[in-house]
Amino acid sequence: MLTQIGRSLFLLLNYFGELAQLVVEALRSLFGAPVRWRLAMRQVVEMGARSQLVVLVTGAFTGAVFAAQTFFQFHRFGMDSAVGSVVSVSLFRELGPALSGLMVAGRVGASIAAEIGTMKVTEQVDALRSLGVHPVDYLVTPRVLAMMISMPLLVAECCAFGILASYLVAVPVFGIPEAGYLKNLINWTTGRDVIMSLIKGYFFGIVIVIVACHQGLKAENGAAGVGRAPTEAVVIASLGILGLNFILTFALNIFFPAG
Amino acid sequence: MIETRDLTKSFGSKAVLCGVSLTVQEGQTLVVLGRSGCGKSVVLKHLIGLLKPDSGEVLVDGESITGLPERKLTDVRRKIGMLFQSAALFDSMSVEENLAFPLQEQGIRDMKIINERIAEALEMVDLPGEQKKAPSALSGGMRKRVGLARTIIGKPRCILYDEPTTGLDPVTSDSINHMIRRLQRRLGVTSIVVTHDMKTAFHCADHIAFIHEGRVHFSGTPDEMRASKDKEITDFIEGRSGDTDT
Repeated sequence: MLTQIGRSLFLLLNYFGELAQLVVEALRSLFGAPVRWRLAMRQVVEMGARSQLVVLVTGAFTGAVFAAQTFFQFHRFGMDSAVGSVVSVSLFRELGPALSGLMVAGRVGASIAAEIGTMKVTEQVDALRSLGVHPVDYLVTPRVLAMMISMPLLVAECCAFGILASYLVAVPVFGIPEAGYLKNLINWTTGRDVIMSLIKGYFFGIVIVIVACHQGLKAENGAAGVGRAPTEAVVIASLGILGLNFILTFALNIFFPAG
Repeated sequence: MIETRDLTKSFGSKAVLCGVSLTVQEGQTLVVLGRSGCGKSVVLKHLIGLLKPDSGEVLVDGESITGLPERKLTDVRRKIGMLFQSAALFDSMSVEENLAFPLQEQGIRDMKIINERIAEALEMVDLPGEQKKAPSALSGGMRKRVGLARTIIGKPRCILYDEPTTGLDPVTSDSINHMIRRLQRRLGVTSIVVTHDMKTAFHCADHIAFIHEGRVHFSGTPDEMRASKDKEITDFIEGRSGDTDT
C-alpha cells in the first residue's frame, strides 16, 4: 500500500517535472529563438477562430440557465433586478473562463495531442530534429503564442454571449424591467471582473497547450499510443483548469477584489 | 568522419547496444547489417544525436557530440542528413513544401533558388515534376525517394539511410540501391546504410559492419564478408534460421 502511494507520488512529481521542463524549453524558445509568427497565426485560426462556435454556444446557454435559476430564487425576495449583475459577475469571474477552458481543452487539447502524437510515432518529430529544428520551436511555441492570443478573446466572447443570453431570458421572458436590470448589471460589473476573466483565460490557454503538447510529444507504441494521447490530454488539462481556477480565484481576488 | 566508441544503450531492462565501435571514413559507404531488433537503427540515431548513449561517445569530425544539448546539435545535423525508415515526410505539407523546409530553415528565402533546388533534388531521385503531390498520394517507393530528396537538398556531407529498401518490391529496391550508389558518386557524400537486405549491402558497401548481440561481430569489406566462414555470418547471408518445419 505504502509502496503504491510512494510510486504514485513519484510518478506525479515526475510528470510535473516533465511539464516544467517543457515550459522552460518553451520560454527559452520564445525568448531565444526566432518566433515563427506565420505558424502562430495559422494556429490562431485553427485553435482560436474555429473554437468560437462551441465557446459561444456554451456561454449563451450557461448565461440563459443561470439567469433563469437566479430569477427563480431572487423572485421570492423581490430582487429580480439583481439577476443581471449576479449573472454578469459570475460569468466574468468564474463560469466564463472555466467553461471556455474546459470546452477548448476538449476541442483544441485533443487535436494538438493527436496531431503531435501522430508526428511522433511516424518519426516526423525525429525528422524535424534531424533537419536541425527544435520540436519545441516548431510545434510548441507557436501554439503557446496562439493560445495566449486566442484564449482571452474566447473567454471575453463567452462572457459577452452569456450576458446577452441572460438578458434575453430575464427581460423578455421573465419580464424583469430592462432599466433596473441594466443599471444593476453595469453598476456591479467592474473592470476588475473583466481583467480577472482575461487573466484566467490566458493561464488556462497555456495549461491546455503545454499539457496537450507534452502528451503528444511523449506518445509512443503506434496507434494505441496516439489514441491515448488526446484522451489523457483532455482529462489532465481539464483537471488542471479546475485546480488552477481554484488557486487563481483566491490569488486574483487579492489584486482584483469583487464589488 | 564519424566514429562511435563503445556505445552502450538499454531500453528498460533490455540492453540493445553493448559496446559498439564503428568508424566511417570521408566519402566511404558503410553498411551496418544485422537481424531485426539487433539495434542497427539505434546506432544510426546515435550518430545524429536523436538518442543519447548510456555510455560511450559519438565523434563527428573528431568532436564528441554525445554531451551536446539539443540546441547545440543543429550544426552537426546540418552536416548529416537522414533518410528515415518510413521516410517521415511531413504529411501536412506537399512534396514541394517538404523539400523547401530544410532550405528555409537554412535561411534561404529566395523562391527562385528554392524552386531550382527542389527541381534539381527531385531530378536526382528520378521524380521530376512531382512537386505538387501530397505525401499521402505517393507510393512507398516514391515516399522514400522524396525523403531522400529532402535529405540531400540541404547538401549534407554525410547521409544516413535507415532501412532504405524495407517494404519495397525487388525492382524498386534495386532502383533505390542504384540511387544510393549514384548519389554517393555524384555528391561525394559519406554514407551509412542500415539494412538487413544482403543485396543492398553488397551493392552499396565499401565496408560492412555486422552487429550481433549488441556488438560489432564482423567488420570488413564485402568480399571479406562473402569469404567468411563464421556461422553467424553465413547463416545471415544465406538466410538460415536453424528452425525446421517439424
